[in-house]
Amino acid sequence: MDLFTGAVGIGQVHDFNPGIRAGGLFWTIPVPEHALTADIPHGTATLALSDLDQEDYHNLHNALLDGPSDPASVTFSMKWTASGPPMNVTDSVHRFTGRFMLSTIQIAWSASAPGFSFVSDAAGTTQNVKSVIGRERNGVFFDE
Amino acid sequence: MTLNYNHMGHAHFLARPMSRRTFLGTAALAGGAAATAGMWLPQLVAADTDELATVFPRPIVGGVSPFGIFIHHFPPFPPIPPGPINEPSQITDFNGLVGVTRVLGTGTGTDTATGLQTRLNYQVDNGFMSGLYVGEDGGTHHGTFAFI
Repeated sequence: MDLFTGAVGIGQVHDFNPGIRAGGLFWTIPVPEHALTADIPHGTATLALSDLDQEDYHNLHNALLDGPSDPASVTFSMKWTASGPPMNVTDSVHRFTGRFMLSTIQIAWSASAPGFSFVSDAAGTTQNVKSVIGRERNGVFFDE
Repeated sequence: MTLNYNHMGHAHFLARPMSRRTFLGTAALAGGAAATAGMWLPQLVAADTDELATVFPRPIVGGVSPFGIFIHHFPPFPPIPPGPINEPSQITDFNGLVGVTRVLGTGTGTDTATGLQTRLNYQVDNGFMSGLYVGEDGGTHHGTFAFI
């Protein structure tokens, strides 16, 4: 979750993420099941978490290097709503397959770090670039 | 941009001992952002369980190399051929529900010492994975994960 003083990509001042695990797991953490409400057949999913411990690496390059960071926390709620028909995708190059739907997204979030807090504008003001929901199989489940 | 090197001594998030507080945060119907940003309230949670995966999954094999640094991740956009979408999951040996997004927006940052407010732009690449996975221990588990 990245903040910029200029347009996105220019003047990054905050980069909130949980870090990269030693084995390479990228910015991914376990969350309680009830954080996720998903109704994929009807094309909706909501992920909501509050006061989640994160790191503020301040910029992407520093984050990818696992450089110095500040303790931070984020709260967010994001809702996917399917905007297109289901599509079956099998990518044998990257070895994943599934049934996916392009979707719209709404998010409202806040963050706090030492000496700083942030509150996003209303969820309805978000600009979707690309969002997808669906079912996926990969790895040892790819060939099932 | 100023980095606070005084914090180099604190254990980074994923290197800390696993505790419920560390990973859970609070799965909430309404948090600080909800109260202040005029957001909708999500539906009541679908599950009545508070189970938290205790074994980490493994990362997807592929990925990209921003700044020449390889990461086990495909950004939601732009799509990398041959598929019409990039792999949404961050974890491999996985069979379940996924969601991923790249979204842009605006908000207000506050210097909590001075109260000075600044308008900021954001980009959020987030997602979820929920289902069966083979963990770091080689066993098959069920869990829900957030990509943040």
